[in-house]
Amino acid sequence: MPKTMHMMQNLIPKAIQIDILYSFVIIICSLMIYFATKKLYELSGHKGIKYFRQAFLFFAIVYLFRSSIQVIVSYLGRGGILDISQKTFGVLSLFLFIYASSIAVFYLLYSVMYKKWDSESKIIPAFHIIAVIVAIISTSYKTASIILGLQIILFLFLAITTFISYKDSKKKSKKHSMYIIYFLIFIFFLLNIVDIITPNFLGLQLLIYLASTFLFLLILYKVLRKIGN
Amino acid sequence: MAKRNKLEIIKDILEIIQFNHNSVKPTPLLRKSNLSSTRFKEYYKEMLEKEFIKETTNKGSKLIQITDKGNLFLEKYQTIINFIDEFEL
Repeated sequence: MPKTMHMMQNLIPKAIQIDILYSFVIIICSLMIYFATKKLYELSGHKGIKYFRQAFLFFAIVYLFRSSIQVIVSYLGRGGILDISQKTFGVLSLFLFIYASSIAVFYLLYSVMYKKWDSESKIIPAFHIIAVIVAIISTSYKTASIILGLQIILFLFLAITTFISYKDSKKKSKKHSMYIIYFLIFIFFLLNIVDIITPNFLGLQLLIYLASTFLFLLILYKVLRKIGN
Repeated sequence: MAKRNKLEIIKDILEIIQFNHNSVKPTPLLRKSNLSSTRFKEYYKEMLEKEFIKETTNKGSKLIQITDKGNLFLEKYQTIINFIDEFEL
């Protein structure tokens, strides 16, 4: 084994190595989805495709911040991000992580709901305002219960809206397998935030990583199969 | 007959031009597209902006032709529709 590789392994704890690897896989999947759908969007100008792509671009950003937060936590040797959030970089990373993760799921939701929610010019700025407010409250109070409470409210909004849309699509006897995948992404979005606030939440970390990775790989597979790449 | 969506209308207009050996005058294109004059103008403008079609002149009369990008749209149309359908977009 090369000497530098051996040094890296000694410097970075195994749990963080797994975390970085997990984030790396999600970032690659998200960016592949984003770039693979570029041509389809350029040709069609379809709003659904536009927000679907942007959701995955934001997922890539989220996981970039996620891994940076984990590295900060590991180097400072503290219990979690909330302990180090007084430090400028910690606050900034947490703020951007919560903002980007809210925007990612909002965009994913909007990609399936844009036909029903007509006024794009009002809804998109509203999403950004909500995401900023959630991020400001989360970084100001720095308590796990407040952050979790906000994320649970957000999750309930996403879950209920997706469920209503799923019911409507069932009435029209359309296929609806993607709603289940989107619903699962919303669940894992919540679990990923729980995981970063309270590291190794209920000892389910590895399960959350595996399930999230499976979901992103499944979506990537579906995208590439449909596009024919 | 079900209402056509935007992408379907663009595809239909491009197919009309293609069917007419890639050269058609605006008036027959409007007639064959089954759109009102106002809606046709909207689509026409958008297709020019997206560079799916181009205007040429032959013996003083305006002709409409499909561009390479327009042909690519026709080629990828079914992929786009399948993608939108698959992801419920």
